[in-house]
Amino acid sequence: MTTDKTLSPQALRQRDQYRWSALGFIAPGVLVVAVLLYLPLLWTTFLSLTEYNGLGDPEWIGIANYVEMFDDPGFIGSVLNTLLWVGGTLLVPVGIGLGVALLTWNLKGGTWLRLPFLIPYALSGIGVGVIWSFILSGGGALDQALAAFGVDDTPRWLVDAPLNTVVMILATAWQGVGVNALLFTIGLQSIPREPLEAARMDGANGMRLFRSILWPMLRPLTAVVVGLSIVASLKTFDIVQGMTKGGPGRDSETLALTMYKETFVNSDYGLGSAIAVFLTVVTLIASILYLRQQLSSKHGV
Amino acid sequence: MSRVIRTAVLAVLGLFWLLPVYLLLVNAAKSPEAFTTKESWLPTDFSLFGNIAEAMRLSGLAESAASTLLYAVVSPAIAVLVGAAAGFAIVALRLKHGFAWFVAIFGGTVFPLQMILLPLFDAYSRTGLFDTQAGMIAVYTAISIPFSAFVMRNFFSGIAHNVFEAAVIDGASTWRIFARVYLPMASSALVAIFILQATFIWNDFLLGLVLSQSDTVRPIVTSLAGMQSTYGGAQMSTVLAGGLLVSLPTVVLFLFTQKFFARGLALGQY
Amino acid sequence: MRSKRIPLTIAAAAAASLVLASCGGGADDDGATTGTLDFYTNKAAWEPDFDELNATSESGADITLNTTGYSDADQYDAFIKQSFRTDKSPGLFTWQTGPSLTELVDEGLIAQTTDIWTKAVDEGWVSEDLRDSYTFDGEQYCVPMNIAYWVMYYNKNIFEEQGLEEPTTWAELDAIASQLSDAGITPYYQTSTLFTFQWFQQLVAGTDPELYNGLATGEVKYTDPEIVDIMNTWLDQEEAGWFSDAGSTVDPAVGLKQGDFAMINFGSFFNGSLDGAGMVSGEDYDMFVIPAVNGDLEKTPVAVESGPLCVAENSSQKTLGLTYSEWWMSPDAQTAWSEARGDVAFNPQATVADPMLEDLGTTVSGDGYELYDRYYEATPTPILTVALEQFGAFIANPSDPLPYLEAIQAEADDYWADQG
Repeated sequence: MTTDKTLSPQALRQRDQYRWSALGFIAPGVLVVAVLLYLPLLWTTFLSLTEYNGLGDPEWIGIANYVEMFDDPGFIGSVLNTLLWVGGTLLVPVGIGLGVALLTWNLKGGTWLRLPFLIPYALSGIGVGVIWSFILSGGGALDQALAAFGVDDTPRWLVDAPLNTVVMILATAWQGVGVNALLFTIGLQSIPREPLEAARMDGANGMRLFRSILWPMLRPLTAVVVGLSIVASLKTFDIVQGMTKGGPGRDSETLALTMYKETFVNSDYGLGSAIAVFLTVVTLIASILYLRQQLSSKHGV
Repeated sequence: MSRVIRTAVLAVLGLFWLLPVYLLLVNAAKSPEAFTTKESWLPTDFSLFGNIAEAMRLSGLAESAASTLLYAVVSPAIAVLVGAAAGFAIVALRLKHGFAWFVAIFGGTVFPLQMILLPLFDAYSRTGLFDTQAGMIAVYTAISIPFSAFVMRNFFSGIAHNVFEAAVIDGASTWRIFARVYLPMASSALVAIFILQATFIWNDFLLGLVLSQSDTVRPIVTSLAGMQSTYGGAQMSTVLAGGLLVSLPTVVLFLFTQKFFARGLALGQY
Repeated sequence: MRSKRIPLTIAAAAAASLVLASCGGGADDDGATTGTLDFYTNKAAWEPDFDELNATSESGADITLNTTGYSDADQYDAFIKQSFRTDKSPGLFTWQTGPSLTELVDEGLIAQTTDIWTKAVDEGWVSEDLRDSYTFDGEQYCVPMNIAYWVMYYNKNIFEEQGLEEPTTWAELDAIASQLSDAGITPYYQTSTLFTFQWFQQLVAGTDPELYNGLATGEVKYTDPEIVDIMNTWLDQEEAGWFSDAGSTVDPAVGLKQGDFAMINFGSFFNGSLDGAGMVSGEDYDMFVIPAVNGDLEKTPVAVESGPLCVAENSSQKTLGLTYSEWWMSPDAQTAWSEARGDVAFNPQATVADPMLEDLGTTVSGDGYELYDRYYEATPTPILTVALEQFGAFIANPSDPLPYLEAIQAEADDYWADQG
């Protein structure tokens, strides 16, 4: 890794000294994750190379499932919808979350002003799913509110693609903004006072203060928020399954939904697993590419 | 931006954000008999408590409350510590191949949970962990660790390394540095991870559905979801009232932990 | 170097788990005939009803059900299939008739219930007709848990205001729909997610039951001219504005109550939902058997949905489960069940609490009617998945039906080629 090249000989010696205790500190996390999450995942990877309907024994068929996956014309649609989710999630909840964190930062009563954004996350998914289907239903709460303002000709929120994906991204943003704001707030709190004061002495304020000090210093937590958003949006499932089941037709289907449908609805475990493996590899590559750049030593790890 | 404008912007946006919560409250309070979707914004009658009682009767969620509380406290608590230890190893102790180790833990979050349900069920029923509280705690801990390790690793990276070196010169052991120096500095991050993961676990449906069956082991949302179906069962306002009831503990948790995040205010005032 | 060892360790452990997984599952039958029986169901909302039934089953058969409900039908199916491999192999569980039951029977996973059926038919507890859905190679498997007829529910207040009567012919039904539509009332309910098949099923089976069966067996193609004609009839009705907003997610029971639409084609378990929504059976709502599209048919086809109650062959509670199944068929059990659940009973000797459902049961067992399996159970799953999507897309954007039918047929071709 890049860290090796930048450490001084002294630091390297020191690192060697802590080698065993460092391994001791990291071991519990790695072990728990490996046993409970990676072992089942390996089974899935194995299944992706077989034909298996959940009964009897899996039959080895090589990469046929992967071929079938790319052959499916609906697969491209799922990939595009998933990309829309990634883009939308990076734009809306991350953007608003950062905005809320910055606005509440150093503000009297800021903690309480942030609370309305956190409450949606604390609400149970069951109530939230029902409420959003109330809001977005044809003739639902949103249409009723718009009608009160004289707008009668509203689009069919959950029927017309890609509008249905866009409104579902907004519904997800509603729940996610608070979490992002909280993480950004933690980042802002860990910024040391000295550089801030120095910048203020120089007359930095507003946008300039943000660009020169806050944004660079927020980098560790920005990486967390963006990294998690990429991962979560690539896996988008719950809200789509709850609101449109990927429909009408397959218009709002995401990769996770395609995977779910093949596995649990059609009992084609092999094909479902192949999609899962594809999704996992894509997510892993995207996270590594992003995080390696963000976490590398030149940014002061 | 002046404080007044900031407060005003946040207040307006916050109110807008609470509109769906308002809808939830109003509709959960409507009696199933009088319930319509024609005027979603207007309160009609107040049957909230009747609806809550009906939701409790239909779902039997009272029996799940104690075990769900156990999962939502124990698992994130362990995950926070394990994640902090991993972050400490990578950042403060400068573990060799730190990024690779980090990816090994973080990788636990990159695949869709649905894919590991069946192998987990298989393994759990073979090892006797199926339908046990220990089994539920284990799996909830595992899925909380990657997030925890990620946040803690990055939070610690904001702490200058000479803090560690100074502690070493003082003759502290690595364990002592971790417990007495790094953890206290990270209290806001630890609390944030804890409440976010506790909320996530409290609201989990899927793992509870597949890995447990008895009423005393099943988590609360899995029980609650059972009362709603095509084949009859609870009415919409009952479902909403149940959802509202189940959300109360997490909302209270968020309310009471906010003071941990007010620290920035104290530090930042000049 | 050290980090390279991790994958190796994991791989070794994985190999161990694969070996474990390939060992056969199940457990020896413990032979008990009384006690507590673990019961799994995808009808989680019925759990309180099963609990209520325990009082009767304890005195009638000395068996208590310990019910675990799964609210997600897809996860439930996967869970049950997986459990055959473990010592959790279920002593009693609910399932679906049609290809998904065939699959389990073919694998030898289900305990035979031929003796139970023979006795029940002899005693007149169950109709011969129903036995067919449970028969594989001359033997019976599972017993019926519930039965639902797919009929047309209507809002009685709307019908009275419009001076409408229950139709007895297809032409009368069309006239009702057209009158309602002219009066600014949407005649029929529809949705673009999941339950998208009912009208197609109704139109095809009502036109020609042979055609309907042919679709299920692959002898008829979705692109055949007869099917295209039927879809065009549907399209005409869509264009006439006879169906409710495809984008509405309102609970169907609430929708019927508030007059979003006047009629809804639903299973006879819908009474419970309507009662719960505050409508009074026979006063605010009623139902009729949908007349056949083709008036020349000798018998009016009625879609039926029947949920089996099965016992796993390799369950430790096999004997207990079969004992319960036998008791379940009896009039005592069915009367108690009908009371707890408020649903139609398959056993003609059982007393049904709701007079409307009692009437329905008598009507459809009469000479003028024949039962056919609902599209959802009759169609092989991969074809069904695509069909539900395509009907949903058609409902959302009604237009030339051929592309939708071609998409379904493409999947059907693949499926039947595989079965070849």
